[in-house]
Amino acid sequence: MNQIVQYIRREEWSPYVAGVLLGIVGVLAVLLSNSLLGASGAFENLAGLVGKALAPKVFDNVYFNFVMPPGITWGVILLVGVFFGGMAGAWTSGTLQWGKKDSANSDSQWKRIFGPQTWKRWALAFFGAIVLEYGAGIAGGCTSGLAISGGMLLAPAAYLFIAGMFASGIVTALIVYRRRY
Amino acid sequence: MTNFAIALVLGGFFGFSLNKAGLTKYHKIVNAFRFTDMAVLKFMMTTLVVSMIGLYVLRDVGLITFPAVPATYIVGNIIGGLIFGVGMALTGY
Repeated sequence: MNQIVQYIRREEWSPYVAGVLLGIVGVLAVLLSNSLLGASGAFENLAGLVGKALAPKVFDNVYFNFVMPPGITWGVILLVGVFFGGMAGAWTSGTLQWGKKDSANSDSQWKRIFGPQTWKRWALAFFGAIVLEYGAGIAGGCTSGLAISGGMLLAPAAYLFIAGMFASGIVTALIVYRRRY
Repeated sequence: MTNFAIALVLGGFFGFSLNKAGLTKYHKIVNAFRFTDMAVLKFMMTTLVVSMIGLYVLRDVGLITFPAVPATYIVGNIIGGLIFGVGMALTGY
């Protein structure tokens, strides 16, 4: 028992152990509420909600009416859980920090490549997230919603998506890192 | 309402496992694309195998029916994946 507690408190688990945990969560999601885990779809639901309130004409199209209807969906609630779950994970390993100056930009590898400025990290995260969410919108899901949830139902879309994701991810990393690759 | 409670709890474990696997860190994601740290792949593939076994067993026993499988439209899936990969390698999401 003590050993289990010790393991939970470790900052980094074996990816196999964490993978088994998420695998069980994925099965439970289907078993208990007949839903698939996902993240990017929830952002589109929320974006639709905001968009319909601010500019109903622009958002009155097929995509936001039928493909991704706005609203507080199962996925949105899931995301709230993810947020607190991630915090709980950091809390159990003692790395949860409030208001420390560099806590918004604490990755040493990132600093080595791009420099120490926090605004750069935020700007890149903002721009990259737009690209990422747009790609997820076209493909029909993100790493969790399509690659993992689709993959476990053996949907061909998931494996096409993983192939595309790694192809361009590797090229992008090559360009960003160049000789440091 | 129970459905939302389930979502909240499952989401909690979802985030917890992501955090513990280190997938909330920039270098973990990018190093997967540099082939220097395979944790992301180990994590993803373990999840896939475990949930695949669980879901197919439960379906064959008759406890669940599969929810709508994500649609396959080859060009869209690949192009979406290509754009997604750029963002993923830049942000480390």
